[in-house]
Amino acid sequence: MSVQYTPVIWNRNKMVYDAILLIAVALYLYIFIRVGPFYEDVTRPIDGAILRMRAFGSCAFLMLTVILCIGPLARLDRRFLPLLYNRRHFGVMTAGIAAVHANYVLGWYFNFSPTDSYVALLSSNTSYGQVLGFPFEAFGIAALLILFVLAATSHDFWLSFLGAPIWKALHMFIYAAYAFVVLHVALGALQGPSDPIFTSMVAASVVLVSGLHFASGRLEANREKGHATAKASLEEAGWVVAGEVDEIDDNCAKVVTLSEEERVAIFRYDGKLSAVTNVCAHQNGPLGEGKVLWGCITCPWHGYQYNLADGRAPAPFTEKIATYKLKLVGSTVLLDPNALPPGTYVEPVVIGGAS
Amino acid sequence: MSWKQTKSAPFFVGYLNKVPKPLVAFLGVFSLCFVAGLGLAAFALSSTQNDPGNGAFQWGNRFEQTGLLELRPYPVFRIPANGDAPARTYMLAGQGKRGVFEQTEANRETPVTLRGVPVNRGDLTMIQVGQVEPATGDPSGFTPSEPVSLGRWKLTGEICDGKCYAGAMRPGRGLAHKACADLCLTGGIPPVFVSSGPVEGRTFFLMAGKDGQLLGEAIDPLLALYIEVEGEVEKLDDLMVFKADLLTARVLK
Repeated sequence: MSVQYTPVIWNRNKMVYDAILLIAVALYLYIFIRVGPFYEDVTRPIDGAILRMRAFGSCAFLMLTVILCIGPLARLDRRFLPLLYNRRHFGVMTAGIAAVHANYVLGWYFNFSPTDSYVALLSSNTSYGQVLGFPFEAFGIAALLILFVLAATSHDFWLSFLGAPIWKALHMFIYAAYAFVVLHVALGALQGPSDPIFTSMVAASVVLVSGLHFASGRLEANREKGHATAKASLEEAGWVVAGEVDEIDDNCAKVVTLSEEERVAIFRYDGKLSAVTNVCAHQNGPLGEGKVLWGCITCPWHGYQYNLADGRAPAPFTEKIATYKLKLVGSTVLLDPNALPPGTYVEPVVIGGAS
Repeated sequence: MSWKQTKSAPFFVGYLNKVPKPLVAFLGVFSLCFVAGLGLAAFALSSTQNDPGNGAFQWGNRFEQTGLLELRPYPVFRIPANGDAPARTYMLAGQGKRGVFEQTEANRETPVTLRGVPVNRGDLTMIQVGQVEPATGDPSGFTPSEPVSLGRWKLTGEICDGKCYAGAMRPGRGLAHKACADLCLTGGIPPVFVSSGPVEGRTFFLMAGKDGQLLGEAIDPLLALYIEVEGEVEKLDDLMVFKADLLTARVLK
């Protein structure tokens, strides 16, 4: 959290994250460019520029695969959540690696010609009407442009400027970028002489990304089924049965699904209960999966914090989230499903006190 | 079915430098697997790349010969037999992705000395032209032979740009190289047909249209694909020329 925009607010965890990422990428490129060729069974070495474009291209593809796996992995197993924390650095680095790949392509395949290399890139193969021989470079350009836009807008300034819903929608284009990259590879590199290892790697990437998203989607669907009782069990006009107070651990929350788009997190802390929207104002993180730290709701994704009673980020921060009214009948928690405007103070319900 | 946060579960907050111990171990193992996995992937991909063949520039074997420049329909250089060495015909390319039509046109039917660098792959040789000068000796009397027809053939293989495939790039063929080949051909580099089966022991052919004309944009959709095409094969000294009838062309895969 920050009240001013600086390029990167470094902390130890971000440094460790980036260091591991840099080591992995450097190792990949070093082995691909310097070590692997010694073990190739070739008459003459592959051109250095082609070797490097393959190294950077495949590296960007694998990085994109891992990036897309982090989200569903963190849904399936919360121990992966720390990988999400600094994912934007991963994304920016991927865009950089992809740009180097493109630069090698431009400087080799589209160079040494009287035609400008950018003009050549767009005009040399125009067989858009055929599958085999399709200008697969176009998919690569589209993917790279998306990665550039996402990298350029990854900073919190853009999140604040565009607002979380638009920013989030924009960054969902990462899936379009991945699809374009898969098509770029499938209609380009995979159409060359048989390469079972690269083919298997691309297939494994597609299966992994789709499989993990499918699995986490099922988990979410089951969660909604589990909460369906909240919607169906109106005990009292205008109130929803949210569950038993004993279901909620101290300093933790229970998430109640009101509709597909609306979930409420009911927190238990200091012998009291408070309810807020489950959606963090920062990047739509699931607040109900966070905890209460230093008297504040703390988002599990990036640690954004809110006061429990009014949903306002502690000063000097300015983020606000919607709050909800609660009441306790015996040990049963009832929730008023009408969200209050973000930042509205609601008196916490005291457990064991008068309802 | 729903997951919920519990008091005992480790909770990671990025800006707090302290990471819960169970997560440190988990993330440590994951990081190791991530780094090692990428390293292994790099090795597996890099060490199993396909052989691009032996094509290369022959920098240590500069070309300097006297002969005649012709357009058939692409620029070729004809040199007379010399003792036991039979007459030869070389395909020509310029620097980079450029042809040498202008130099050939300007020096046609005049004996010239041509200097350049051979780009060679097996029996496919392309000369990258450096300098063309009027011949200083007396090369009169050299009349290049006319092409000898070897009949009509149906060939399967790939249309490549003759320079990259000869060794200017390794690899210099396939769909990943298609746009580059397109650019080379547009620039005037002669197209070459790389046949999967030999004709008189040769698998590389300088291409021409069915009436011996230059191939235009009609080859663009066929470039770098595995195709079948019919046409007349001619022999020009040691150079095979395939006058392809592109109307018979069929993409095989």
